[in-house]
Amino acid sequence: MTLDSMAWLMLLPPVLAFWLIVLFFNRWKRLSHWTAIGAAFISFVLAQGIVIAGLRMGAEALAERPIHSLLPWLPTGATVLSLGVWIDPLTVALLFFVSITVLAIFVYSVGYMHGDPKYSRFFAFISLFAFGMFGLVVADDLLMLFIFWEIMGLCSYLLIGFWYHKPSAYRAAVKAFLTTRIGDVFMLLGIAYLYSQTGTLSYDVLFRNHEVLHRLATTPSVIGGLSVAALAGLLLFAGTVGKSAQFPLHVWLPDAMEGPTPVSAMIHAATMVSAGVYLVIRAFPLLSAGLGGAAGTPPKVAMGVIGAFTAFFAATIAVAQRDIKRVLAYSTISQLGYMIAALGVGAYVAAAFHLVAHAFFKALLFLGSGSVIVGMHHHQDMMEMGGLRKKMPITFWTFVAGGFALSGFPIITAGFWSKDEILAEAFHAAMGGSWLGWFVYTLLALGALLTAFYTMRQISLTFLGEPRSEHAEHAHETPWTMTAPLVVLAFFALTFGFVGVPEDFPVLGPLFGGNFFHHFVGATLMEEMETTPLNWVPLTISIVFALGGLYFGWWVYGRRPLEAGAPDPLERALGKLYTVLENKYYVDEFYDRLFIQPTIRLGAWVYKWIDRGVIDGILHTVAKAAVVSGQLFGWVDRVVINGGVDSAARGVGRMGEEGRRGLQTGLVQDYIFILAVFVILFVLVYFVRGAGL
Amino acid sequence: MEQEIFQLSYLQAIVPELLLLVVGLLLLGVDLVLPEARKRELSVWAAAGFAIVALASPLAYLGEPQFVFGGMIGSEPLNAIFAFIFAMAAFLVALLSRDDERLEPSGVYYALIAFAVIGMDLMVAATDFIMLYLALELTGLSLYLLSAYDRRSRFSVEAGMKYFFYGSVASAVMLYGITFIAGLTGQTLYLGVRYLFASAVMPAWFGMGVLVLILAGVGFKVAMVPLHTWAPDVYEGAPTPVTAFLSVTSKAAGVMALMRLLVWIWGSLPSHAEMTSLIAALAIVTITLGNLFALRQKSFKRLLAYSSITQAGYVLVGVTALSPMGLTAVGFYLAIYAVTNIAAFTVLVLVSNRSGSDWLRDFVGLQQRSPALALALLVALLSLGGVPPFAGFVGKILLFAAALKSGFVWLVGAALANVLISLYYYLNAVRMAYTRAEEPVEPLSIPVASRWVLVIATAGIILGTILAYPLYHLLERAAMVWF
Repeated sequence: MTLDSMAWLMLLPPVLAFWLIVLFFNRWKRLSHWTAIGAAFISFVLAQGIVIAGLRMGAEALAERPIHSLLPWLPTGATVLSLGVWIDPLTVALLFFVSITVLAIFVYSVGYMHGDPKYSRFFAFISLFAFGMFGLVVADDLLMLFIFWEIMGLCSYLLIGFWYHKPSAYRAAVKAFLTTRIGDVFMLLGIAYLYSQTGTLSYDVLFRNHEVLHRLATTPSVIGGLSVAALAGLLLFAGTVGKSAQFPLHVWLPDAMEGPTPVSAMIHAATMVSAGVYLVIRAFPLLSAGLGGAAGTPPKVAMGVIGAFTAFFAATIAVAQRDIKRVLAYSTISQLGYMIAALGVGAYVAAAFHLVAHAFFKALLFLGSGSVIVGMHHHQDMMEMGGLRKKMPITFWTFVAGGFALSGFPIITAGFWSKDEILAEAFHAAMGGSWLGWFVYTLLALGALLTAFYTMRQISLTFLGEPRSEHAEHAHETPWTMTAPLVVLAFFALTFGFVGVPEDFPVLGPLFGGNFFHHFVGATLMEEMETTPLNWVPLTISIVFALGGLYFGWWVYGRRPLEAGAPDPLERALGKLYTVLENKYYVDEFYDRLFIQPTIRLGAWVYKWIDRGVIDGILHTVAKAAVVSGQLFGWVDRVVINGGVDSAARGVGRMGEEGRRGLQTGLVQDYIFILAVFVILFVLVYFVRGAGL
Repeated sequence: MEQEIFQLSYLQAIVPELLLLVVGLLLLGVDLVLPEARKRELSVWAAAGFAIVALASPLAYLGEPQFVFGGMIGSEPLNAIFAFIFAMAAFLVALLSRDDERLEPSGVYYALIAFAVIGMDLMVAATDFIMLYLALELTGLSLYLLSAYDRRSRFSVEAGMKYFFYGSVASAVMLYGITFIAGLTGQTLYLGVRYLFASAVMPAWFGMGVLVLILAGVGFKVAMVPLHTWAPDVYEGAPTPVTAFLSVTSKAAGVMALMRLLVWIWGSLPSHAEMTSLIAALAIVTITLGNLFALRQKSFKRLLAYSSITQAGYVLVGVTALSPMGLTAVGFYLAIYAVTNIAAFTVLVLVSNRSGSDWLRDFVGLQQRSPALALALLVALLSLGGVPPFAGFVGKILLFAAALKSGFVWLVGAALANVLISLYYYLNAVRMAYTRAEEPVEPLSIPVASRWVLVIATAGIILGTILAYPLYHLLERAAMVWF
């Protein structure tokens, strides 16, 4: 089987599973989940097959000649709209983690969703979700990417609002859908703009053709001072801001916790938010095309500023959350900020590396928190937990693995290597004299400290000490369908980083084959990417911050475990600031005042004045005109038809009922009369004109 | 134009028609010996017969385009494709007829369907005016009888009578037009007439006048305004499966016959702008009028009748293009429209089996009574309305793209506006089906034969989108033969 046909085939099982479950299997729960898991497994095997084949081919060969296959679909005159798949080293990296995390989440769902009345529907939706992500990853142009992007948008809406009997759930669903939609509109504008400028949306042209890139970067756009590439890049990035929940569109992601926990894992790790980051990684050549200020092109500056700010901002909020999933949600926002900021300073590979590593440990953390939630009988407040270490040992140890990876615990976790690469690159940029480098590095380093702190806070509050509530007292370990995926993900969360150990790292560098990931994914750009030389300054700072944060967290929460009912120690220490953090800087309230309430008021006003007043007024006038003209036509009809038939005297000529009294009298002689009029009239017309009379 | 009248190999070009003749005669014979209680089995026999014809239809193409039987008909890929489409439609309608509880189909009924299909195959294949006229009459006579088949229903008999009267006059007018051509040119073969038209021996106004006369007969089949007046009454009165049949097949045959006349003969007139603007004007009037009347229908059957008029109008937009692309789009749309309309009518048959009427309000609560049926209705109506991802959407894109390419921007604009209007009544019907009934409802089970009809038709609607390119490609190669 060729690679491109494997890629095509990989897409089919999830979407088939979706339709089969929706249309036929929904009454049988076991059949439904086996269908979904079977489909995910087939896709997993095919995806890993592609990964292995891709590794065999080697990065250079694959980057030089990516697997590209087109299926013509919609003929539109001279051209044909084609669907295509595109596999290059970056695609391979994405397929690797997407297929693993998707399969793990599917299996986990069997345990987590057990006994839910809409069990089958759940598996149908997540299958469609997986289809969206697989499709997005292998898409070969921006249009196809956008289609799958929107499929995922739909799925996130359906799944966040899965328990729609809860008002908070459907509100969260609407919020997620609308917030990401703001980004999507800009992104669609960007896509349309690129199409109007180049006549194509293919990656091959837009992101690989140096001539095209050069032209886009040198043509001024409609907005003064920006090149076409910069403007299109900014618009595309807006899509990422929505999908990957960057400030100021981050508000939907924490609320998305209302969905079942496997969905949170899907959104936070395997699919949705990763898609946003993937888009900017994919579009990086365009985003960095041309000249900008000292810090880089406008899209890069935007990414650096927004990413670094988001990373720090979300980390501070995470410190003061009580809901176990909300902490993770803000940590996701923060970590995505790292990736975006990395692209801002040009660290292409580091962003991709952190994307993959983060997907593993964040999926692990979410599934772990889900396991805690099930063990706690669906209570999510960490203040009510405590002491779960002995009651849920597998969950505990895997959660610690994930948490340490998130904190960047040195050497033995994947998070250390990926986050350190970003920090090292940012430091390198700062050393190069770029203000953006300084900005990014400072915020990210401080963010790393906070990350380690809130992670340890979470671990301590949840697992250490003594149970602080009834539910924690009676917590129990979850079934194997839930713990097995945890173990698998924990393995990757710890070890995945070894594919990207810097070459010049003492001992480990040579041992793990000298930053394989960097060479492999870096080849995608088809230009020699210099590796940043090992610098001990940022490395030391990273290690100190990670360990320091963890220790500080333990010192506050772990050393003297919280008593039941006791307030958060941080509350006393931070005072008013704690309230601000707990309320997420009041961003939601701000948006409510600034956008939502005015919109509702505008809507009411429009309804009252425009709709009822102006439009209805016009409609009534038109309706009256129709009645009048109907009477007129009726009169004409009667007069014309009267000539031949005597049936015309009936009724008033109203335009209703298909003009029963005009054209459709129901009498065949009238019909034939109309035929005769048509033929005679037109023959006469042509005769008169032809004879020149 | 020297052409052998008969060769044995010519018979292969009419294999589908010969088979249909055999099927029809067999059904008539079996009907005589079959006991009354087993008459229902006939539908299966008929369906099997039509399926065989459909499978055999590729044989009608002899490998390269050529004329057979003295130039009376052509053997070309497009004819084979339409023989397949008509046989498939007959197959689906035969199955559907079994489940209409108000209809008691006998062998005669199915035989008439077979004979009508022969007529329609020949309408598409005809390359001679006499052949065209005969094919039109054969189709017409079979369909008149089918429309009046339900003798217990006053409306059915009335429909048959109206159809017959109107059809007789229309074909008489057309025959009158043909006499002009034959009398002045001494030719009835298309190619011969074409030669005289192209050489400007014939004045253009004369050609146009004759076209109007011929339109009376062909346009009547298409039910284009103003020759549509018979259609709502006949569609409403005829038994529903018959309506399904004639609203797709005889319309398609009419459109193809018209398109061939226009491309082969009138398109060769030194100035044919007048002719295309006539067709374009009639197309937009057809679309708009059908739409406006459909808006206010309370009977679903009558709604579909007017919708069929509108749909034929869309096809005429493609006809106007007079290009290979236009012909391809027309072929594509007619095939898609056939399965889509049959699906919609199938739902109607099953619903009115219970309610005993055709009212739109009977559809309220359909989703509770049978989710599958409601879904089938949804798919069919959205496809008719041109909503992606269903095949009707692809079909409309192709038709409009072809017209745009030939420069009819205003026509496409007006047609698009009408697509929007049509969504109102299609979605209204869907809304009915998905509205919860106030009183408790009894579940509605789908009989086996109809289930197959729905599955095949729905699959067609979806595959039309997925396989858009290969289908288009096939039709495009077939269409190139004409140009």
